[in-house]
Amino acid sequence: MNGAHLAFRAQPDVSIDADYVVVGSGSGGSAAAIVLARAGYRVVIVEAGAWRDAADYPETMLGVMRDLFPDWGANVATGDSILPIVQAQVVGGGTVINSAIMVRTPGDVIEQWDQDHGLGDVLDHRRMGAALDEIASELHVTDTRVDVTHFGENNQRLLDGLTHLGLDTHPTLRNVRGCQASARCLQGCRHSAKQAAHEGWIPEVMSLGGAVLSCAPVTRICRKNGVAIGVKGRFRHPQTRKKGAHFRVQAKRGVLMAASATGTAPLLQRSGIALPALGRFWRAHPGAGIIGVYPDEVDLYHGATQGTASIAHRMAHGLKLESLALPLELVAGRTGGAGTQLTRRLQDIRHQAMWVSAVRAEAEGTVKAGLFGGVRVRYRPTIRDLKKLRIGSAVLAKAHFDQGARAVRPGIVGLPFEIGPDEVHLIEEAPLDNRAWTWVLSHLFGGAVMGSDPERSVVGPDLHVRGARQLHVVDASVLPTTLGVNPQHTIMAVAQIIARRLANSDHTRHHGA
Amino acid sequence: MVVLLKWVLAALFPSVDGLIGLDSANLSAPLQRLSKEATLTFRLGLYLSAFAFIFSPIVTLGWPLPALWLGRSALDRHARAMAGHRWYLMRQAMLMLKTVGGAIWGADPAVRGQLGYAPYGHDPGTFRSDHRVDVVSQPQVNP
Ligand SMILES: Cc1cc2nc3c(=O)[nH]c(=O)nc-3n(C[C@H](O)[C@H](O)[C@H](O)COP(=O)(O)OP(=O)(O)OC[C@H]3O[C@@H](n4cnc5c(N)ncnc54)[C@H](O)[C@@H]3O)c2cc1C
Repeated sequence: MNGAHLAFRAQPDVSIDADYVVVGSGSGGSAAAIVLARAGYRVVIVEAGAWRDAADYPETMLGVMRDLFPDWGANVATGDSILPIVQAQVVGGGTVINSAIMVRTPGDVIEQWDQDHGLGDVLDHRRMGAALDEIASELHVTDTRVDVTHFGENNQRLLDGLTHLGLDTHPTLRNVRGCQASARCLQGCRHSAKQAAHEGWIPEVMSLGGAVLSCAPVTRICRKNGVAIGVKGRFRHPQTRKKGAHFRVQAKRGVLMAASATGTAPLLQRSGIALPALGRFWRAHPGAGIIGVYPDEVDLYHGATQGTASIAHRMAHGLKLESLALPLELVAGRTGGAGTQLTRRLQDIRHQAMWVSAVRAEAEGTVKAGLFGGVRVRYRPTIRDLKKLRIGSAVLAKAHFDQGARAVRPGIVGLPFEIGPDEVHLIEEAPLDNRAWTWVLSHLFGGAVMGSDPERSVVGPDLHVRGARQLHVVDASVLPTTLGVNPQHTIMAVAQIIARRLANSDHTRHHGA
Repeated sequence: MVVLLKWVLAALFPSVDGLIGLDSANLSAPLQRLSKEATLTFRLGLYLSAFAFIFSPIVTLGWPLPALWLGRSALDRHARAMAGHRWYLMRQAMLMLKTVGGAIWGADPAVRGQLGYAPYGHDPGTFRSDHRVDVVSQPQVNP
């Protein structure tokens, strides 16, 4: 099976041996897998979604929901409101649909992990710095304005607007090569410009003797006397969702969980792991958008999907402000109103610029195994989070007006559909009620966090899931805090540090120091 | 159910001022595809939302009639009132319908053409079957 990719099959059952099995092929899973494969281990990656190349990518949003999102994008977090959770279920995970922004882990976060979570021996500045550097150079992290055929008006106006307001703002750094400025990151990059995991690391794992199982949701981690010895599940057809053959991967050295902040903790629970912190400390950067309508054309769909960002308000207000080109279909569904009023409001789509505030929220939620193999996420942004969002949205509105917007559409229930430059205070005084805002969750953390306190962590500083041997977590669920910046670079770095330590400790055990 | 959904979505995205709405778009194909391919949870949410739309004129307009019986302008007022209703669940039902309606409207070639956007190609729905790559080096770590 070396070098093989096995997709859905009705029959016969599959059984494979590996040194390590990695569950989930997104940012964390692929980053850990490549380190172990390069260290000479036979790595098998098991992924619930299908393997789709650029030619397989859907064009429409209905296609994206069907082919790239889990459960047609119907996953939500509930608290006092319903918050959509956007994630990918495909080989490459989030790296396929994300905007390719790569931001280094802020130094204060690494310090917080050390001081509050006792992780200094594992995730210190030196190791994190080295891992981040290596990943950045390998994945071709570049200034968006350099590696794109057209930066895009949506991005340019945010850059100019926030800069005029005195906020440090910059083109994003992204892992792309030859971006064609089609503003279609969410649909998967048809030009293969995005350096997604299934374009690089995953095929390399295969070429180093590893294997990939796709359409293969793991249903259980197999353990014997407390030692994780493999995983099992049944293939599932990506379109019909019919169940197929059973699969089982036996892993001599260990199981690495990377099924994401919504997938890992529930799977650990289903596999009989019971720890006080499991499923807790679930966090996010909830985000909400604000649209400016301009007298001239902006054309959201010409330029990088997310080409500009500012973290000037990160420390004071926990905010990240960025540009975002949502597909026309999503803009149509999210614009306020209905009937003739709605269609009329969509006529000026070419004149719209869309920017978002992502909040480094303090809210803590939970993630649990739900009914019929599903997942239940409880999460409720706090009043303080809402206050941060108000600040971010007001700053963006001011930037829109600075750039000459004729009106701003705040998208907040209780406010006028459009406001003018003298009405930005309405955003600053907007209701502190989650149901009034259109939050979306795409940066997720926790559920199986790392730390030294057994009551507050699932993975100890020795990197094992507590009470289980040869079982590790290498995805966003391990992060004990939010970051206030885009997470994939950090997730990859943490996964690689963990994987490297595993490889080194194995070598030491078997071959001496 | 497809017929009912067609009617509801067309009420949410009607043609206006020359811009094509879902009343003149091809709704059958995407809705049939949806009812065939979408998950049960998704379809349930969609159908429940459609029912909420049909049976709520009593709440939005104070009229004890299903929306199906409303005249054009009353229907338009009902849609608008439901989208901005103070009950959160009403707004959520509307969001569900608008998400699907928006997905169909924004992908419609005639709409895209009118707005100056290139039409989409079809969604291939394909994925990789089994394949193999050349193994350049075999795993070497043996305990
Ligand atoms: C639209 C969008 C845009 C984003 N843009 C950016 C950006 O520009 N920059 C950035 O830094 N971050 C971005 N993010 C966030 C980033 O993509 C995620 O934080 C990151 O990918 C999470 O990594 P992960 O390894 O935890 O999980 P994922 O990347 O989500 O991977 C988890 C994988 O596990 C699989 N899986 C789940 N359950 C099972 C199971 N039981 N068996 C087998 N496989 C399973 C899933 O199918 C999935 O492929 C974005 C996210 C979204 C949704």
